[in-house]
Amino acid sequence: MNQLFTSKKNILWLVGPGVLIMLFAIVAPILLSVYYSLTDWSGFGAKTFIGLANYKEVLFQDPTFWRSLYNALLLLVVTVFIQNVLAFILAAVLNQLKEKYSLVLRTIYFVPAILTVVVITKLWTNMMNPNYGMINKLLGAVGLEAWQHSWISDPKTALGAVIFITVWHGFGWALLFYYSGLTTVPQELHEAAVVDGAGPFKRYTAVVIPYMLPVIQAVIIIDITSCLKQMEIILLSTEGGPGNTTQFVAYHLYEQAFKFSRYGYGNAISIVFVIVALTITMLAQKYLSQANEKL
Amino acid sequence: MKIGIKVLFLSMVLLLSAGLLFATGQPDGDSSSVVIKMGDNLPDRTVGLGAVAEAINEEFIAMHPEVSFEVESYQDQPYQQKIKIYATAGQLPDIMKYWSFSTLLKPLVDSKLVVPLDRAALSDLPWMPGALEGNVYGGELYGIPLTADFWVVFYNQAIFDKVGVEVPKTLEEMKAVSAKLSDAGYIPAVTDGKDGWPLSISYDNIFWRVTGDYSLMGDALAGKKPFTDPEFVEAAEIFQELFNTSGVFRNDLVTTDYGAARNLFGQEQAAMYIMGPWEMGMASDENFSESFRSNVRAARFPVLAGDEDQMDNLVAWYGGNYIVKSGSKHEDLAMEYIQLYAEKYADIMWDLQAGFPAQGIQPKADDNQLAKDLLSISASATATSGTTALDMLTPAFKESHQKLCKDLAAGIITPVQFCESLDQALQAALK
Repeated sequence: MNQLFTSKKNILWLVGPGVLIMLFAIVAPILLSVYYSLTDWSGFGAKTFIGLANYKEVLFQDPTFWRSLYNALLLLVVTVFIQNVLAFILAAVLNQLKEKYSLVLRTIYFVPAILTVVVITKLWTNMMNPNYGMINKLLGAVGLEAWQHSWISDPKTALGAVIFITVWHGFGWALLFYYSGLTTVPQELHEAAVVDGAGPFKRYTAVVIPYMLPVIQAVIIIDITSCLKQMEIILLSTEGGPGNTTQFVAYHLYEQAFKFSRYGYGNAISIVFVIVALTITMLAQKYLSQANEKL
Repeated sequence: MKIGIKVLFLSMVLLLSAGLLFATGQPDGDSSSVVIKMGDNLPDRTVGLGAVAEAINEEFIAMHPEVSFEVESYQDQPYQQKIKIYATAGQLPDIMKYWSFSTLLKPLVDSKLVVPLDRAALSDLPWMPGALEGNVYGGELYGIPLTADFWVVFYNQAIFDKVGVEVPKTLEEMKAVSAKLSDAGYIPAVTDGKDGWPLSISYDNIFWRVTGDYSLMGDALAGKKPFTDPEFVEAAEIFQELFNTSGVFRNDLVTTDYGAARNLFGQEQAAMYIMGPWEMGMASDENFSESFRSNVRAARFPVLAGDEDQMDNLVAWYGGNYIVKSGSKHEDLAMEYIQLYAEKYADIMWDLQAGFPAQGIQPKADDNQLAKDLLSISASATATSGTTALDMLTPAFKESHQKLCKDLAAGIITPVQFCESLDQALQAALK
């Protein structure tokens, strides 16, 4: 059997189809997208080659692109620094509870993650509806009428509302990752830290978090990709509005390609977006790996 | 043993590869059956225009038992985007419903993705004046219009009676009535503000009410008159007041989608619903209460105070074209279907009180009150607009028009900014 898997021919047979599928499924569409991005094309009919004009427009004449990128990065910051911190703290608390209580709570916290995006978005947009939504009704019931609000229609609160929905949806996954990671921290490390005089806070900052860095790294990389490509919740809730206050890059490029029939321009946005997303992912990967190695 | 493992290993690789290569799905059925793919925006096939389409499909199947229909239906805007994606992928359905010639149908015609219909045979039918001409391009007819559409205010008579207010005839009355409806716990008026096009059509209505001359809109679209002229700004100011600050609409307007607006009205939470006569089927839709069905009515879009003589200027157009894709395996059957549709749909539509067909109809003694109201509004029109501004130029202009109207309704831009941006979108479209 060992000989079977040390033969280069066999490895080629095993790896070859996968590599071919990857080239076909990932590299070919990107190359095709680069080609379309150099054209003025509605998605069908004649194409006109226009060189880098679409890229010039994306980078220098399209404030909506920059607004949508800013929103995506804001979502990423909120996810990494608020959702992750809360999920970690909650996972640590659950890890200290008796198994039967922890199991019930873990199940409850994970429910949003298994619901489809359509369900959770419609759930929250209905709850936030100013006319019949539960949030305003509850505020009214406790005498806080002044706080009643049109949460996703008001430009001042719309972005916060969609970010809240997105973070709420992803919270269960972060919790699951951190809880699983915490259960693998050896008890001996805790005991050694206690012997050295470390309190609960010090134990977490000096022992548990460094031990968990690979898990944190994985969660952050997943966060980066999911935040940057966020589209479904926007499509189902605000469609980028009011104005462009909740516009995200993935929805902006979809809108340009299939609503404005600017398929070439949509492809140019997608290429710029791929470069931005890859750069952020690689930088984060590098920084987190270096931090991991230092420990 | 080693040879045996190698043979087993290579056999597995070959088997998996063959599985991937031949995993192309099931055949359509037995060779004698014909599946015609159809696309439209009518997900509910039990009432309204969906029921009309089903009745004609059944009639066609009775004539051709070997035929079955594979219908793909979504709400209006997702459906339009789906068709664009199918056009890009070369996977259009054999027969499909599509809208406005300039912004939606013409790009398909120019790309030779749809075929000309039999103009001579179809022209013999009792179409309303100009109904077919909007889809004639290069002398060929590319689509048959389904409905004669115009912009009205649906209202619930019972709510108005209960609150003790009259149906508004002017925008000023609309604001006053809305305050009383709000005080009584009702949402005064709703529409689909999320998609934007109802707001764009409403802007056209207000513009016409302001100027009394809709041809000025045509001049602007032809580049002969800037959108920054005072009458456009004045219309934008009235529009913004109506949709943003007057209290007629709630402040979630731009996130209220078609279904939500329709349900708020149908569930008797909203007193008025701004929409077109394709919603005539609401009066016979058993998903709504008997109380609603017997009290739903329609009125003309309000005028400015003192301009009551403009009441019968009607923003009206023909909507919902049926078209046939080019290169369909079943093109002959598709053409025959279109002919049958054109011959039958108007009577079926009026019998079911599902909508207002683009052909002449015979009023019946048992027409419901909503149908009578719509017929009366249509019959008394002294002038009609034709295709509205958002559908006159390019897809990008259409989207910009809708987006700007949404921004204006949300109070994000000022009327002057609206007009300047509209002018920029026009210049881009005219290039």
